[in-house]
Amino acid sequence: MGSRNGKILVALAVLCVLGAGAYIAYAALGPSETITDARPEAKAVLSDSNVMVRAVDPEDPRLNGRVYVVHDGHVERHSGGQLACERVYFAAGRGICMGVAESGVDYVATIFDAKMHPVHTIRLSGFPSRARVSTDGRYGAMTVFVTGDSYLGTSAAFSTRTYIVDMATGEPLDQLERFHVSKDGKPFDAPDFNFWGVTFAKDSNRFYATLGTGDHHYLVEGSVRDRSMRVLRDGVECPSLSPDGTRIAFKSRIGEQTRWRLRVLSLATLQDHGLAEKRSIDDQVEWLDDENLVYSDGQNVYAVPANGGGEPQQILKNATSPVSLHVR
Amino acid sequence: MYQVEASKALLKPKLWARRSARLNVPRNVVMLGMVSMLTDVSSEMVATILPLYLVFSLGASPLALGAIDGTYRGAAALVQVASGFAADRWRKPKEVAGAGYGISAVGKVALVAAGNTIGGIGAIVAFDRIGKGIRTAPRDALISLSSSKAGLATAFGVHRAMDSAGAMLGPLIAFGILLAAPARFDAVFVVSTLFAILGVAVLILTVQGKPKRAPREGNAPSLRAAAGLVKDRRFALLLVAATVLSLTSVSDAMLYVGLQRKIDFAPAVFPLLYVITAVAFMGLAIPVGQLADRVGRVPVLLAGYALLFIVYGALLMSSLGYGLLVLCLLGLGGYFAATEGVLAAIAGALLPEDLQASGLGMLTTVVSIGNLLSSLVFGALWLELGLRNAVLVFGAGLALAIVAAVPLLLRSQRAPVHG
Repeated sequence: MGSRNGKILVALAVLCVLGAGAYIAYAALGPSETITDARPEAKAVLSDSNVMVRAVDPEDPRLNGRVYVVHDGHVERHSGGQLACERVYFAAGRGICMGVAESGVDYVATIFDAKMHPVHTIRLSGFPSRARVSTDGRYGAMTVFVTGDSYLGTSAAFSTRTYIVDMATGEPLDQLERFHVSKDGKPFDAPDFNFWGVTFAKDSNRFYATLGTGDHHYLVEGSVRDRSMRVLRDGVECPSLSPDGTRIAFKSRIGEQTRWRLRVLSLATLQDHGLAEKRSIDDQVEWLDDENLVYSDGQNVYAVPANGGGEPQQILKNATSPVSLHVR
Repeated sequence: MYQVEASKALLKPKLWARRSARLNVPRNVVMLGMVSMLTDVSSEMVATILPLYLVFSLGASPLALGAIDGTYRGAAALVQVASGFAADRWRKPKEVAGAGYGISAVGKVALVAAGNTIGGIGAIVAFDRIGKGIRTAPRDALISLSSSKAGLATAFGVHRAMDSAGAMLGPLIAFGILLAAPARFDAVFVVSTLFAILGVAVLILTVQGKPKRAPREGNAPSLRAAAGLVKDRRFALLLVAATVLSLTSVSDAMLYVGLQRKIDFAPAVFPLLYVITAVAFMGLAIPVGQLADRVGRVPVLLAGYALLFIVYGALLMSSLGYGLLVLCLLGLGGYFAATEGVLAAIAGALLPEDLQASGLGMLTTVVSIGNLLSSLVFGALWLELGLRNAVLVFGAGLALAIVAAVPLLLRSQRAPVHG
């Protein structure tokens, strides 16, 4: 190397370091951009029902994340500035808010009480996806997306992890990936097993979830106590058990990788039927009561009858992650 | 030979300079290591925060990124063979590698300027992958051509150690910036761009395009000559050995999934598995490379695969304590250190000077396709027969592959009959 090149390089390196330092300082001293200030708008009054939602802004995702309770068509803010959630759920006085840590670089779940005050925080190992709390508030279930690290040039395929947590203590109890799975009475296991979208039965021990492996998306029925699951049928994602425990609302993949239709299946027969919603919906549906479902298309919240009749009705604008507070 | 002291301006710590001098690593190799390190810092900074950025600034699902990434991975593997040949054909490994590094750097600039749509980010991820595919073979050829044949494994070890150091530093720097300036992803992109530009600058300004072993006379090799490499007996033997070994080697990602079933439940542990392995790889790459140059590359390569065989054994145990787990991960790091750069060194020593990039490109492609296939087969066996039986099958396969590779590799080391 000619010493001229060396000098150019040193000068360039110094410039880069100064430039980087200056930009970081400018960014650090500038106004903080972690603001969550979106507010949903009620579009229809559902009598006798309270719905908890996460607010989103149609223009600026940085405003997303606040939690509101909508009571008879009145939007009431509850979470103050304390909770900024990607996904929220609540039952029996205990809620889960999956979001980003204050540092802005880590994912955390906050367990909050009936007044929406944070009680526990749990560090998450990936991006928030689904959250559920059992009807009695005993267990919580959280699904996160884990993107493979690219160390050594190898990358784990895109995967999910689902944790069961003790809502009283905020301790993670176990991970569905470690549960024993059976199919047709025989042990069932593969390296690409992914679980997501837990829904609890009334006894809070029994649950349903999705098991993804290869091209299959199995509905599994499990027991938290026994740490086990068994496969019921294929083609069911993000199950949601009806309050009377007889049916499961779910999303069903159509053709392409990321398009779904909402359907409802009867647990007695394992037969399913479609709904009036004809758009692709990527959500874990919530039962408003035994006859009606609520869900979000990522921007607004809709209600649709579970029997396949009627029409989807927009009930809230600028909201996602609906939780029915009435039937609990 | 260029010594590392010549570049004191860049390598401030004296300790490192002295160590490298003792290692006798050509300056060109250290500079190429520096280029890789800066580029990896740049790429990993962005890769780490991209899921966060997608959601917080674009309101998109991280699923979108998974789909984008998978699509271009295959394309990058094929680009590798073509760019290797192009580098040989034009006798311009530095320029072709530079184009690869440059494409990635341009992608970073584009991220700062226009990284606010999913399509834009998809294109940038594609740029990064293709850039990586283009630069790998000519860069390895430059490392090989810059080194004496006796010091090849050490040279590749130094490069791989610096490369993985960059991959580890990147995420730390990105998180550091976001801690100082929460949610200011633009700051991460700007700093990443500066690292990428600096990487290209180090390449242009300090790396010798025609290092000492580079061919200077004669005709540029034809496509036929490059394709004829597979008929070169020594290289063909090496390719067959590498294929057999890679077909029985399960990817580390798959091993982590298996190991995770054997350890006590703790959500925070999983990401650490990668880190421990990467640190072990980084720390062992240079000493293992030196060892390979001293005692022979073939035994060290085979010992690496033997380490992998032992790690398979851990998957047969009903449960693993944390002590054994860490040993396994160190073993895995050792396996990478003893195979990654050493295999390239073996190839570099027997490939003709004018076809280094083509040959190294072919070898890397064969190995990565072999690893991909083996992971698919391992996954299918796991599903059909269970983890235990899948490991038994692959353990037996790897043992056979090692035994079969011994004569193949030893014969590939014999002096050619002609030339």
